[in-house]
Amino acid sequence: MAKLLDKQRYKCALGAMQTVQAIHRALPILHSGPGCAQKLSDTIGSSGYFSPNIFPCTSINEKDVVFGGVKKLNSTIENALKVVDADLYVVLTGCIPEIVGDDSGEVVSRFEDADKPVIYAPTAGFKGNNYKGHEQVVDAIIEQYLKKSDKKQKGLVNIWADVPYQDLFWLGNIRELEKLVEELGLIPNTIFGFNRGIDNINKIPQAEFNLLVSPWVGLGNMKKMEKKLGIPYLHYKTLPIGATETSKFLRAVGKFANVPEGKVEAVIKEHEDYYYYLIERYADLFLENRVINKQFTVVADAQYTLGITKFLVNDLGLIPAKQFVVDDTPKNYRDEIKEEFKQLNYGIEAEVSFETDGYKIHEEIKNHDYHGYPLVLGGYYEKEVTENQKGNFLNISWPVQDKVVLDDFYVGYTGGIRLIEDIYTIAVQRFN
Amino acid sequence: MAYRIAIGSSDGIHVNLKFGEVSKFLIYEVEDGKTRLCETREVQQEENEAECGNKGCGTGGCGGNQSGCSGPSDVLGRVESIADCRCVVCKKVGFQAQKQFEKKAISVFDVECDIEEALEKIIFYYEKIDGHESIRRKRTEA
Repeated sequence: MAKLLDKQRYKCALGAMQTVQAIHRALPILHSGPGCAQKLSDTIGSSGYFSPNIFPCTSINEKDVVFGGVKKLNSTIENALKVVDADLYVVLTGCIPEIVGDDSGEVVSRFEDADKPVIYAPTAGFKGNNYKGHEQVVDAIIEQYLKKSDKKQKGLVNIWADVPYQDLFWLGNIRELEKLVEELGLIPNTIFGFNRGIDNINKIPQAEFNLLVSPWVGLGNMKKMEKKLGIPYLHYKTLPIGATETSKFLRAVGKFANVPEGKVEAVIKEHEDYYYYLIERYADLFLENRVINKQFTVVADAQYTLGITKFLVNDLGLIPAKQFVVDDTPKNYRDEIKEEFKQLNYGIEAEVSFETDGYKIHEEIKNHDYHGYPLVLGGYYEKEVTENQKGNFLNISWPVQDKVVLDDFYVGYTGGIRLIEDIYTIAVQRFN
Repeated sequence: MAYRIAIGSSDGIHVNLKFGEVSKFLIYEVEDGKTRLCETREVQQEENEAECGNKGCGTGGCGGNQSGCSGPSDVLGRVESIADCRCVVCKKVGFQAQKQFEKKAISVFDVECDIEEALEKIIFYYEKIDGHESIRRKRTEA
């Protein structure tokens, strides 16, 4: 029998149009029904030169279901190349054309000789969610655009993190990761966000290694690049938030890139000194508030659930209640991620559940004894249930309704401080 | 269940007429998987249709340009004449006509191909959706 999924936290694979949008001057061309882009776009932060309202779309209808939509796709690509000035065109297919059997790959291959690169990613909704779609787009770039380079740039490292727009803090996070890597004396290269685009994509093959900061999203891409482009990768599973994890992260990257230990430690010391200076000054606030929030729960995708759990336990000394990973993590990655939740300081282990059904998550939150007011970090869906429990709620994952983030971030030492500010801003509001 | 398909063709082989050009529709009937040409239906040339192009003809349309359309009244008669069909297949179908067909839940297929090919694809499609089956096809068959 068909199952009903309550409050799902992701979109269909075609949501990868946001991944394309995050690449400066890259344009998605949609082979889908009319309205797909409208539904998949977020209401904030996606207007601009290319926005979902102007993405070229074949707007296929009943006729194309019966007679096939390849003709329309051909003319849509042809005209997009004529009228929209972009650096990279990425054709994305929705469910309908893939069900009726349009050979979109063949149509796209007709544009091999076009002045600008046109590539194609199959992102039918039934193939998976937008985390998968994101991987498909990166795969398409690797397979159809990039070529192996004999020339390597010393110290150049490609950084990959979680899904743009799906991750509220994607832009700030990736910039901060760049900054940290740069401090180690390496040269970061990323393809997402302002001033990053086709030139950065072109630089990918020259990198000494790929750095993936994500529990699972993008791992397939790393393996593909290793095989095709001969670029080794470092998979760092935990999004480093706060001093404990960020220092571990810098040591791991430093070791992988053969950065002298002394240099790594000097960078860490400088950051930690300032970080703990701040923590020390506000220790009284934290101690008082521990009475309020004895236990916490994170409801987010794998990267934030893992990253924030580690941060709150290791850096703030809070106790984890059950944690929820809601991104429909593929089964083969789950055990490894579960293991990570056991690697917490003071011998603490967190229970984690890979659950996509919001109703079940809320039932568990309601029925758990938090020994006081709960602290819940999650999507907007968790606001009401937390308030009913008289708990403190912070919106950190999709969907986001009560927060505007332009380029704020939670990654690194500074990111940890930002997260502390956000959590305790909410905690102190209770009394004022 | 039996249904009818209206096709605009001058030679009985190709779908080669625009909706407005058709004087005789070929009406095919599909019943129990069998298809037959059951009639050629003449379209009555309507008065206001003949007049079309005159300034001020019709109602509710855009009379702004001299040769322009004068709203749905142009096509109502034509649409009505094949209102018993499930879909209409012509080389081109204008906006006004499409909207009127939409109102009557009649599908419009504006394609240029052989009648045989059109019938085959349309019948396959209706067979699947009537039987609540997936229309998924393997690429090689498409």
